[in-house]
Amino acid sequence: MADVVLRADGVQKHYGELEVLKGVTFEVDRGQVKVIIGPSGSGKSTLLRCLAMLEAPDAGDVYLETERLTALSEKQLAPHRSEVGMVFQRFNLFQNMTALANVMCGLLEVRRLSKREARERALEFLARVGVADKASQYPDELSGGQQQRVAIARALVMRPKAMLFDEPTSALDVELVREVLDVMELLAREGMTMVVVTHELRFAQHVASAVLMMDEGRIVEEARPDEFFSAPKEERTRRFLALVE
Amino acid sequence: MLASFDAHLFWTALSSGPYWRGALTALELTVVSLATAVVIGFFVALAALSNRRRNRSLAWVYNWLFRATPTLLQLYFVWYALPQLWGVFAGHWFTPFAAAWLALSLNEAAYMSEIIRAGLLSVEPGQELAGRALGMTRRQILRKVIVPQAVRIVIPPTGNEFITLLKLTSLAFVISLHELLTAAQELAAATFQYPEPLLASLVYYLVIVSILMMIQARLERRFTWTSRRRRRRFGPPVPAISHDAR
Repeated sequence: MADVVLRADGVQKHYGELEVLKGVTFEVDRGQVKVIIGPSGSGKSTLLRCLAMLEAPDAGDVYLETERLTALSEKQLAPHRSEVGMVFQRFNLFQNMTALANVMCGLLEVRRLSKREARERALEFLARVGVADKASQYPDELSGGQQQRVAIARALVMRPKAMLFDEPTSALDVELVREVLDVMELLAREGMTMVVVTHELRFAQHVASAVLMMDEGRIVEEARPDEFFSAPKEERTRRFLALVE
Repeated sequence: MLASFDAHLFWTALSSGPYWRGALTALELTVVSLATAVVIGFFVALAALSNRRRNRSLAWVYNWLFRATPTLLQLYFVWYALPQLWGVFAGHWFTPFAAAWLALSLNEAAYMSEIIRAGLLSVEPGQELAGRALGMTRRQILRKVIVPQAVRIVIPPTGNEFITLLKLTSLAFVISLHELLTAAQELAAATFQYPEPLLASLVYYLVIVSILMMIQARLERRFTWTSRRRRRRFGPPVPAISHDAR
């Protein structure tokens, strides 16, 4: 019996007339790294936001382990959200807080740790992503790569059951992409359960347990990376890969 | 020198008790009214940004009511009409100062709510999203993330409001509040001299506003988020000049 951490079951989402997710079923097991690729507007980010329960699906269910998140009210949801780490394309670090305060924030406000304990933990996680020396800097003073690593530390310090990455390197200058991917690769090796939306196909090839192709609100194909890249079954996948490579 | 300028009278006026007390009253009234207006305005702004239609309508009606009617009329209404409509306001506690405080707070709150709303809207939506993803409640996000960032945007126009309000306190003259204009009027009536008493009260306004501008510049530095307290992108503080004819 597979140990499922996150599961979407027939998730639908639309904004007005626009159907963004047309009944997506998806799951990620403990320790798995699933990479989602697909053209823009295919619903990748929306799926991720539904998994993080930042958006409520219009139909279908989302489960975190055995808990049905879609059955919970907004108030009940807040603590559950901290069980799933989310990393955004534009980092979204709190601009009014130093790197350290960003990482401490969830520990203080949500986990209710003491200041001393939160500080210790936060420093430890800043060190893990290699930005301990930037602890007292504000986001404005950090490079994109450093900001994204602080953002990863901020999510990680909550000890989430899974980490979701929404195009974590798309907003970075080319020379800064590597430092963020390295941190993510390290996380994957340590056994973190991850769902990653990205255009970094080499990362997908090296790190993913499975690669998924999304198009027009559906999952078109899911396969192990070697199969996915060498012998994609679907015509849509072949066309997309030809465009990206 | 001017033909009939009496320097002695000017200095006497400047250092006289009524002027001091008048200036102090004007300053007190401005500070308490603005503080009250910020609190009320904050909640009106939240209502205006609410998902609930009813809250948005209430905010709209509030702003409409207090911005569409003259401040002087509101002052008159609070001082003369309110005690006749409502017994509580007929008591001795309802002094000209209390009446002016009530009227100016309610009036100013309408303007402050728009300023605060703009400040809240200026905070990038990604900030709230990140807070929610961490598991923070809306209240926590508002308190720790959004309000501190909105403050920076809200400070310069609030400086303007302070100045407008300071000048509006002279309207309270009509409900017999002893503020700066009263002092000038009384002195002028007693000496039949206008330049000196009026110029003396003008000096007080200039001094109060100058001090305010210094405080504002400090506050703006305080709410700029860099560890070296650099002042990038923001430049010098917005000149606190107001040409509001409320």
